[in-house]
Amino acid sequence: MAVLPILEFPDPRLRTVAKPVTLFDAELKSLVADMRETMYAAEGIGLAASQVDVHRRILVIDVSETKDSPRAFINPTFEVIDEELQDYDEGCLSVPGFYETVSRPRRVIIRAQDEEGVPFELEADGLLAICIQHEIDHLDGKLFVDYISKLKRDRIRSKLTKAHKKSA
Amino acid sequence: MASKSARAIAAKVLSTLQVGTNGSLSNLLDDYRERDDYPLIQELCFGACRWYPALDHLLDNLLSKPLKAKESDVRWLLLVGLYQLRELSIADYAVINESVEASRGLKKPWAAALVNAVLRNYLRRKVSLESALQLDQNPGAASSDAKRAAAALAHPKWLFDRLKTERPESLEAICDGNNARPPMTLRVNLSKISRNDYLERLGERGIDATLGGYADTALVLREPCHVDALPGFRDGLVSVQDEASQIVPSLLQLRPGLSLVDACAAPGGKTAAILERETALKRVVAIDSSKKRLARVTETLGRLALTEQPITLCTANAENLDAWWDGNPIDRILLDAPCSATGVIRRHPDIKVLRTPDEVASCCESQQTLLAALWPCLAEDGLLLYTTCSVLDEENQHTISRFLAATDNAKCERITADWGVECAAADGGSLGRQLLPIDPRGPDGFFFALLRKTSEPESKTG
Repeated sequence: MAVLPILEFPDPRLRTVAKPVTLFDAELKSLVADMRETMYAAEGIGLAASQVDVHRRILVIDVSETKDSPRAFINPTFEVIDEELQDYDEGCLSVPGFYETVSRPRRVIIRAQDEEGVPFELEADGLLAICIQHEIDHLDGKLFVDYISKLKRDRIRSKLTKAHKKSA
Repeated sequence: MASKSARAIAAKVLSTLQVGTNGSLSNLLDDYRERDDYPLIQELCFGACRWYPALDHLLDNLLSKPLKAKESDVRWLLLVGLYQLRELSIADYAVINESVEASRGLKKPWAAALVNAVLRNYLRRKVSLESALQLDQNPGAASSDAKRAAAALAHPKWLFDRLKTERPESLEAICDGNNARPPMTLRVNLSKISRNDYLERLGERGIDATLGGYADTALVLREPCHVDALPGFRDGLVSVQDEASQIVPSLLQLRPGLSLVDACAAPGGKTAAILERETALKRVVAIDSSKKRLARVTETLGRLALTEQPITLCTANAENLDAWWDGNPIDRILLDAPCSATGVIRRHPDIKVLRTPDEVASCCESQQTLLAALWPCLAEDGLLLYTTCSVLDEENQHTISRFLAATDNAKCERITADWGVECAAADGGSLGRQLLPIDPRGPDGFFFALLRKTSEPESKTG
């Protein structure tokens, strides 16, 4: 297992739309294991393959307080079952150090496959519902900063760009 | 996805709280109830408020220069950090790491080094800092020392000074009581089930409780639990209510056919307790100035199936008689007056952060206004029970003595009880009874004065 490097905004590779997974093999399992380790190392609650520059529809999520209930979602989709929106201060491992309020539907049904390719369905609300929507956005090349004002987004862009130059 | 940490949220909530325009801590915490780590956020916020004066004093000694006002979220992050290092069993390194991380969550990454330095400094200097704080106060001490003495007992100086003047013998006990976690107390609906039978039902569910020692309806739980775990809660067998409030119905000398007004009724706990105690009152009016809060009375009465009783709810200021009074004299009035809430600090520790002496003075004004306005509605020989959840004389016995001095046909009846402290006037007459929050499994701080309307103007000299 390995901790993988995470792409950071405004890296254009984060805008890639990921392709569906068709082969559920040992390589997939090993990638999922690496993503889990990367997510825990970065103290995240969710990670999309796009963030580690693998453009396939794979997510790992663990919203538990105890960090002991990781789940993998392969080829995930969601359906909104409650149009009511909830606000949450979202942050992103690809936009480190910034948190902004984003409104998303409160309740969704998640449909995905597990690491073996077995389909499953899960009804989610609260943080899990927010997190799955945030991560599926990554697979479609979207980031949470796309939901905030251009002014704020540009400010974050310039701060992160400056930080990247400094560390480069 | 990265989630803002519990510490960052706690710091944000507390700095918003301190501005004082957005209501109480519980209101502000409402936005976060959905989170998995809500219990931790709540613990951090309540704990930091509970120990605020002490933490604040320690922090002043740890900062080489004060933080700017706009950095109050960073200040609270530090206070929350100190609270965890002092009072919780979270590992020191975890507290420091999480607090440093949270400075990024507050969008203030510059504060990371400061947070790290201050918290590590505290650990290094813990023994000397804490012993300097707890130093025994020497008699002719300077005023800076008086501030330290208040901080050592985790009370704001103005409140500490008043308690010291008014209740010197109970000062430390009151402060300790205010710093403790409150018990969860139930009121058993005796018209549905006996107290002992309900105690047995709790036992069957593995919930440990004891009989309350102040009210015959009270059961005190050993450990707080969620109301849904209580057998028959949804069916109205029990309610959650502090034991002081449960004393109210027994003092009102209720009997069938009486009319009663609850002048500041929301959220309706005492109204419900009265209706459970006497199911054959002729007419009950529950008034509150806030429509939103009055909705909670409806909710409470609905759960307890008390809406069958002849009760009217009314959104009004109780002193505006035109809004609710039909002119018929009322036999019983409960005036649970707006007050400083200094008796319920253990339940609402944010009072230590928010309350100011000016607010106490303005409460006293409202109390006088309400008493004077309601008095004409009371029937001859009727009773008005004045209560507050305050421990300050100004709002309690002084309010009563001012009212008695200004009112010819009022008499304060002595409440004979084995709880609390009798408040006596200079002439030996009663000015009410004060409960102090000093029993860890007992009631909140509370004041009761039972006023009777006399037919003859009461002779003030006799």
